[in-house]
Amino acid sequence: MEFVKQYLIPRLVQYFLVMFVGITAVFILPRLAPSDPVERTITQLRSQGSYLDPGTMDEFIEDLTEMYGLGGSWLEQYGAFWQRLFHADFGVSFFQFPTPVNELIRTALPWTAALLLTTTVISWVGGNLVGGLAGYFNRKRWSKALDSVVMIIRPLPYYIMSFALLLLFAYVVRWFPVSGGTDIGRRAAFNWPFIKDVLRHAFLPALSLVILGGAIWFQTMKLIVQNVNAEAFVQYAKLGGVKEGRIVSRYVIRNAMLPQITGLALALGQIFSGALITEIVFSYPGLGTLLYNAIITGDYNLIMGITVISIVAITTAVLLIDLLYPLFDPRVRYA
Amino acid sequence: MRKTFFTVWIVLVVASLILAACGTPEVVEKPVEVTRVVVETQIVEGAPVEVTKIVKEVVTQEVVVTATPEPKEEAPDVLGLPRNEMFIAGQLTGRVGTPSNFNEWVGWKWRDRGMQNLANEPLWSVDFATGQIVPGLAAGDAVYNADFTEVTIPLRQGVAWDDGTPFTSADVVFTIETLIKYEGLNSHNFMVDNVVSVTAPDDYTVVFKLKQSNSRFHTTFLDRWGSTWIMPKHIFETVADPVTFEFNPFVGTGPYKLHSFDPNGYWTIWEKRADWDKSPTGIIFGEPKPKYVVFQAFANEGAKILAQLTHQLDAVDLSAEGLKAALAQGDTNRAYQPTFPWVVNNDPALTGLTFNTAKAPYDNPDVRWALLLAIDIVEYEGQAVDGTGTLSPVHVPSLGSYPADYIEPMQQWLSDFTLDLGNGETFKPYDTDAPKRLVVYVKDRGYVVSEEAVMVAKTFGLGWYKYAPDVAAKLLEKNGFSKDADGKWLLPDGTPWRIEVMSRSDMSHLEFKNAAAAVQQWKKFGIDAAHVPSDNVSALTGNGEFDVAGNWPAQEPWGAGADLYRVLDYYNSAYIEPVGTLTKAHTSRWSTPEMDDVIKRLRETDPANTAEVIAIGTEGLKLLVKEMPGIPTFGYIGFVSWDQTYWTNWPGSENPYNQPYTHWGPFKYMTPFLEPTGN
Repeated sequence: MEFVKQYLIPRLVQYFLVMFVGITAVFILPRLAPSDPVERTITQLRSQGSYLDPGTMDEFIEDLTEMYGLGGSWLEQYGAFWQRLFHADFGVSFFQFPTPVNELIRTALPWTAALLLTTTVISWVGGNLVGGLAGYFNRKRWSKALDSVVMIIRPLPYYIMSFALLLLFAYVVRWFPVSGGTDIGRRAAFNWPFIKDVLRHAFLPALSLVILGGAIWFQTMKLIVQNVNAEAFVQYAKLGGVKEGRIVSRYVIRNAMLPQITGLALALGQIFSGALITEIVFSYPGLGTLLYNAIITGDYNLIMGITVISIVAITTAVLLIDLLYPLFDPRVRYA
Repeated sequence: MRKTFFTVWIVLVVASLILAACGTPEVVEKPVEVTRVVVETQIVEGAPVEVTKIVKEVVTQEVVVTATPEPKEEAPDVLGLPRNEMFIAGQLTGRVGTPSNFNEWVGWKWRDRGMQNLANEPLWSVDFATGQIVPGLAAGDAVYNADFTEVTIPLRQGVAWDDGTPFTSADVVFTIETLIKYEGLNSHNFMVDNVVSVTAPDDYTVVFKLKQSNSRFHTTFLDRWGSTWIMPKHIFETVADPVTFEFNPFVGTGPYKLHSFDPNGYWTIWEKRADWDKSPTGIIFGEPKPKYVVFQAFANEGAKILAQLTHQLDAVDLSAEGLKAALAQGDTNRAYQPTFPWVVNNDPALTGLTFNTAKAPYDNPDVRWALLLAIDIVEYEGQAVDGTGTLSPVHVPSLGSYPADYIEPMQQWLSDFTLDLGNGETFKPYDTDAPKRLVVYVKDRGYVVSEEAVMVAKTFGLGWYKYAPDVAAKLLEKNGFSKDADGKWLLPDGTPWRIEVMSRSDMSHLEFKNAAAAVQQWKKFGIDAAHVPSDNVSALTGNGEFDVAGNWPAQEPWGAGADLYRVLDYYNSAYIEPVGTLTKAHTSRWSTPEMDDVIKRLRETDPANTAEVIAIGTEGLKLLVKEMPGIPTFGYIGFVSWDQTYWTNWPGSENPYNQPYTHWGPFKYMTPFLEPTGN
């Protein structure tokens, strides 16, 4: 009961409050930006070569404002927004009118989720495991060699590193495709040729993310382990004759994992913002370019759709990690 | 030691990759068979008649080859579709945001994915390379009554939609009536404002009665990267709401029909119709050669180049740097021109700079002229596009018929044009030697160019303006500007003069390049100039929130015919909105009563009356030179790269039978002339 009162309820209140404030901010901020969706539609049509009759522009602006549901005050729009939100409806995209935002997200999300969930977990597990061992055995030659490789990879701009992978594997040796989520003409189906095609296209984007993510987790874990390794309780354990395997797994790695678990939760929550540069380099489908285009075109509904999902995912991840933390760290156990 | 080893290894890998991308192209001459579309004038029953002929001939061409041979490969199938019967083009406007929606009457639908350029036919199309207006669904010119309140359009017979339904005047009537009925359709307001009624006296004639005199009404159906398209009545009449209707599958009158598309918007495949001879393309030009045409989007230029070097992309638009890389590395690649400057330089658009004339001090023509004279156009163009652009001193590009119709006849006037510097001093700014100075620049850069007057005029233009910073200073001083102790210019009120030059943020775009070059020139002149790239530039310039912008200094002309109404009407004072509201006019927000008069007279003139159209258009161009609301620099440059592995007989500069882009409407008219290589 004490746990519910002192721990669970405050966090649930905080959870809903953060979501409410975040979603409200997402409603207000795009409207403060100097980017009006109706104007953007008109300038986009013009910049794409369309000739819009200047004599009928006023009527065109009125029609678009009405179609986009941007008539009325902000307060009226805000009320309508929450009404729609409770029905999980984000309205239609302005930039991709009249496609519903839900449909756009539904198409892009599986690509982003599959790619980033997989690569985040692989790079987290791999980076922490190897980083932990390299930190503990930091005087070994293999540890120093690994550290040198990571020192080279880590500062490389991600765009350059991922494009170098594309150049090497798609052009020089031609093992993987240059672009896209599937081959031209491939229709989605639950069969092996489709799955194989998707995996082949996802390999290079995934590899680039795993290399970069793995390098980051490796470095942080190695540093944390080196610090933990110097703690008195580890030294006592060594002096006390505790087996090295037990010291590594129970004494060092377990303590070093705590901030990494928090980091994993946040990284998983951020998946829903997409991986813009990965999508650009590999012409890969996903939420990143969808969100980027929504921002630069002032597509309020689409911005709200993606960021609301992202806000819910991150706050939920933080809540879950808060609730699960006592399982990993006895020092924060209540009751 | 180990770190040093890894560093050296990485440097070697990167260096080898860079070296691999830096082959030096070699130019050789060889005989090549080309197909040309020739328009000949023949005398039929005593009257001259233009006849279109398709001829094949062998010509000697300069061809760029590289030292790196590409290994021969079997043409791989693409999911069962034969690659050597497939034409793959890069999609200019990028990934399709509405992959399943083909309703191009509502908003923007990425119609260069094959809708406007392949599977649909307009009433007429502009082909800027030939200067022709090609009748597609129309059988001839629009015919107006004497006061331009009624127009009759003859329609082509023998055309069918790709589902087999015949195309008739009922489709046109239905389209106009639907556009009038539904708000939200793109042309709704235009039709409401212009059309009283539309009727079909027979299956192949439509008659429009107009609300007011409008001699250019028919141009709404003229495809110049977009037009009012005709709906298939038999499909749209069954739809409850044509605004939300997805129109999937797409049904058109072009020679190709929809095969499939990527739900993520990266590719669209079109298949040649079995009844291609029922499309205007087939009727006029014959059978298209590729069985399939794919439009594929890439999210970055590197991927486009890699796709082309691996023969997975036949035609693509690149940046200046991308084109150089593709030509250097691909032994089967070619550009629009076989030799320097390689680029497409006959695109009917003019680049340059636009002043915000609603804002001081750019509301003063002396200031605008001073800023022009502070530009050394050779340095400017060298920095912007390495000397590959065609200069224009007036507000139409120096291409197609515009030099003959306007720029050449204006030479004397331009030479005589005089600026008043104050204190009785005058200055004639026009410089016929500017193109020759560009020739010197490009030769210094190591490029081979012809110095024949005709070729210089074609490649570099007929003239521009002198570099005269001393004269610019006098014009500014005449208006109260001064310099501080450091030689920096001050505004008339004594405060430092800072110019922000706005452009798109895409560094490869010509708006960015113009803005960057202008900033360098004006800094050299002593002005605190800064380049401000923005993704929101269209809205900011449209609302008048800028000083100077690197955007087009004038609305693009049609690209065929002499009529400049499309250019000049954008300076109509009726369309100008106050700063803070999106302008309907040109972003310079410039107009004068004299220009309004020119526009009015042009509107009342039959566009077919070429002599009168040119005379009035010339008056408009002179007003623009005098007032200089925007600085015209060089014509739009297209960086097209073609891979000749599977297809050849491209409409290059030596054989311009069609405009060269795959994203323009007349691409469909290129398809019968593409030749498979047999690979």
